[in-house]
Amino acid sequence: MPGIDECLLEAMRLPGARGAALVDWTSGLALGTVGEAPGGDHETTAAEAAELARLAAEHGAFSTADDTEVTPPVEDLIVSNRDSYHLLRFVVTSFDATVFLHLWLAREDGNLALARIRLGEMAERLVLG
Amino acid sequence: MTVVDIPPPLPVRDRTALHERAPGALSPMLTRLAEERATGVLVREHGTLHLAEGRVVHAESPLAPGLDVLLTARGTLDAAAWPWTDDIPAATHRLLVAGLLPRGALELCRLGALYDAGYFALAPSSTPGRFRYGTTAAAGPPGAVRPLRAVPVTALERETLRRRELLHRIWPDPSADGAPLIRADPVAPPPVTPRQRAVLDRVDGVRTAPQIARELGRPAFHTLVDVRRLAAAGLLVPRNTVPPPPPLPPVTDPDIALLKRLRDALEAL
Repeated sequence: MPGIDECLLEAMRLPGARGAALVDWTSGLALGTVGEAPGGDHETTAAEAAELARLAAEHGAFSTADDTEVTPPVEDLIVSNRDSYHLLRFVVTSFDATVFLHLWLAREDGNLALARIRLGEMAERLVLG
Repeated sequence: MTVVDIPPPLPVRDRTALHERAPGALSPMLTRLAEERATGVLVREHGTLHLAEGRVVHAESPLAPGLDVLLTARGTLDAAAWPWTDDIPAATHRLLVAGLLPRGALELCRLGALYDAGYFALAPSSTPGRFRYGTTAAAGPPGAVRPLRAVPVTALERETLRRRELLHRIWPDPSADGAPLIRADPVAPPPVTPRQRAVLDRVDGVRTAPQIARELGRPAFHTLVDVRRLAAAGLLVPRNTVPPPPPLPPVTDPDIALLKRLRDALEAL
């Protein structure tokens, strides 16, 4: 049964993966990290990514028509820059948690479409087994 | 003639030197226990930390809901399925072995609960902590199941300091953290998020933030973040423990009544 570390290591097997983390978007705590961090520091990256994730999860502009209180209505966030992609995937849990998977991909080798599908599957397997 | 000497000043703990020695250390005792790789339970005013070989394997605080509350509040785990025992690390291990919950979900919830209770356990206290050397197992008895990850003391201390700063940045007044809360009615209320709405709906002049957290089955720190945001938005205030001054008695003195009539007349000119 996969735990947090197995899940992150699996994410690192995606082509172009440079780093991955499981982050709590309320506190900004990194619950697990693997590989490199964009600024060299996983904790700072987690806190900054958490801020972005929180805004996306909480602001009404990004909610769905059938707004439910249980989970963030947003599934994922994609941030791209000149040399890399950042993929943030919200993890839907049955208990009250506010976490997301953060995958950092090199733009040259990364396959954003594939990573998006795989990360969604991993987020589901992490908490559903 | 008696010469009265001025008594020498009382010794004062040099706080700057303390910070230089161990940057970010919240409890010198905890730092020492981590260095000597101690095993046992550190009891502090607002919570306890369980150490195994100098690393934190479990934390508890009366202010933070435990793993049992977090997992049963919303039916993740049937209340009957929780191995009811006060020994939460042992119960967690049993859940893991029995495979009642996926490992990822359990790790996620348990790490969240550990940092949550740790935040309160490391809060400034008025009494010194006590350490009981013991045999806290890393995470239950050894077996086929890989034990859950222990957290280094420095990581917990760093995170606790970061969380304090985060709350301070949102709203610097900590008085709403522990007091009964009442709803305020601003003229133009800002929009609230669904998670904040759940907190605000339970504000009734009696409940405190940790009680609301417990009812929602939500980590207490996460509730404090929302409470401070709501306080910053003017949507709630801590209930003042000092009762408001009694209303002024109705004026019956004829002189005062005359003066008031005079004032009103002057104002009307």
